Amino acid sequence: MSLSLFVQVLVNALTIGSIYVLMVLGLDIILRGTKILNFAHGQLYMLGAYVMFLFFQALHWNFLLSLALTGLALGLAGMLIYLSVFATLARRFTPTTTFSYRLLLSAMASVGLMMILQQGTLLCFGTQERGIQPPFPQIIDSFGVRVSLMRLVIILTSLVICVLLYLLMNKTSLGRLMRAVSYDPEAVTLQGVNTFWVFVFCFALGSALAGLAGGIIAPAFSVTPVMGQDVIFLSLLVLLVGGIGSYRGTIAGGLLIGLLLSFGFQFLGGIAELFVFMLVIVILIFRPGGLLGEAAG
Amino acid sequence: MKLPDSLALVKAHRYKWIAIAIVLIALTALPLLIENNYIKHLLIMACVGTILGMTFSMLFSAGLITLGAAAFYAVGAYSSTILVMNAGLSFWAAIPLTLIITAVLALGFGAVFVRNAGVAFVIITLIFVQVVVLAVAQVEFLGGWGGIIGIPRPDPIGKVNFATKTDYYYLILAMLLLTIVVFNALYSSRIGRAWRAIKLSPNLAGTLGINPYRYRLLAFVVGSTTASLAGCFYAHYSQSITPGAFGGWLSIYVQLYAVLGGLEFYILGPAIGALVMTFVPEYLRIVKEWEPIITGVLLLIVILFFPGGILGTIRSPQALNMSNLQSLLKWLKVLLPHNKNG
Repeated sequence: MSLSLFVQVLVNALTIGSIYVLMVLGLDIILRGTKILNFAHGQLYMLGAYVMFLFFQALHWNFLLSLALTGLALGLAGMLIYLSVFATLARRFTPTTTFSYRLLLSAMASVGLMMILQQGTLLCFGTQERGIQPPFPQIIDSFGVRVSLMRLVIILTSLVICVLLYLLMNKTSLGRLMRAVSYDPEAVTLQGVNTFWVFVFCFALGSALAGLAGGIIAPAFSVTPVMGQDVIFLSLLVLLVGGIGSYRGTIAGGLLIGLLLSFGFQFLGGIAELFVFMLVIVILIFRPGGLLGEAAG
Repeated sequence: MKLPDSLALVKAHRYKWIAIAIVLIALTALPLLIENNYIKHLLIMACVGTILGMTFSMLFSAGLITLGAAAFYAVGAYSSTILVMNAGLSFWAAIPLTLIITAVLALGFGAVFVRNAGVAFVIITLIFVQVVVLAVAQVEFLGGWGGIIGIPRPDPIGKVNFATKTDYYYLILAMLLLTIVVFNALYSSRIGRAWRAIKLSPNLAGTLGINPYRYRLLAFVVGSTTASLAGCFYAHYSQSITPGAFGGWLSIYVQLYAVLGGLEFYILGPAIGALVMTFVPEYLRIVKEWEPIITGVLLLIVILFFPGGILGTIRSPQALNMSNLQSLLKWLKVLLPHNKNG
């Protein structure tokens, strides 16, 4: 394997990995904050790509501005979804409702949403692929290694978003509230906090992250209505490998799966996905809670 | 105060047996009344769906949510096909062998999966379905993505040669009734009570001397084995199987049967849910591209406004969630002008 090919596959792996990191951070924030396993997350990612298409390709706005607006738009969409569906559902639960019942009903509600969003997009926009003109088409060529600038921008932007998220979660009072709610919502309520709006914010933030992931990836790949379905399985896998409830684990898991898939496709071809799934099951034998998480009872 | 209650209970018990007898006779007579082969096909698929839905309910009764019903359904279908077509066994000998193979596999994989309860279990089972589908598709011996065609019919018993849908209907009905009897026995035994205790609180059950891990593993093995029984039937009924038929969507539908029928009803719930979900989409076929949207909206409506599914709402209509309905209307009022502007 030449150095050039190695670097290209590595950059590819980091690109895919950083998208998974953003997706799964969103999933994890929603899961920890509101106890919803959001199967519609892949569809939010797809919507993010479509919104990016609208702002960047159709309206010719600046790349970063379009991306920020995409995040904002999906955050608003997430807020509306939470207020209309999940808040209504949560009102039915009492403290005696078992955890499995809550989990099942909210997961099923998100499956319903997934079907509606998926087929709705298909009906509105048709099945054709839409390409976005890459804002950074240059190719960096140094020491015989050729790397697309767009991919580097994707990795860099994801990194910036992760740092911003870290600052939000650890350095602001809102982040502290979100972390507190994920441990014990009742105790937070007893401190005089209106947890409802914290839940809403958690869901909106998770949706915004899914939208950002879709918006970042859109210029590198094409926008299709089925892109959400493909990404959700692997995102759930990453969530599992990294460990539910560990943001560091999520980042490690996302990059690990990205690397394994990219190098796997290079060396093994189509069987790589199966190989990765098998590896995950082996990991779970030794670490039932994922790489950095703890096994739940 | 006790006397009238217990009298009512005795009466209800008697009516229960009469109701069961009527349903049994109706189910047995049904294919004689129906001429249309397509409706018979739908009935058969509803029975298959009921068996799968019941395996979901069994795991849910132990507090586990599985999205992996399709995995062992596929394992059953493929192993029975291989045993009949390559090993030359008869269908009736292949069934018990398939059940044993699946039980061993379920024990092995379950020992790893069941250690993670809650969210992780949901994801693992969902991924396991993908693993099975991808693994089967990779193996040339199992037909790859193209699948296997020309699977023989079950060997004839006497005059019954499985040339008509009616024969298949009676076969799946027998399998369904057998499953119901076994499941009912399990639910009303110490095992079933232990499952319900674990669902309520695994830690509390643990302090009472119930090992949550072992009981959950038992539920997983029994559920998976039953799913493979349905798989055996499906392979020899449709006479062709492809890996794509066992994808993630199937598991989600199985889950839907149980939720729609009523989660509190471990046996009747999946049956009603499977019947509704098999027949209603068929009549929605006029608007095929709208079908997933209608299914999705129906699902949301049931979850949000009919707690306990269809049966739960019939049993206690006052539990109908009116406050939710009102709050939704309130939100719609807030949202409507917003939607018009945007």
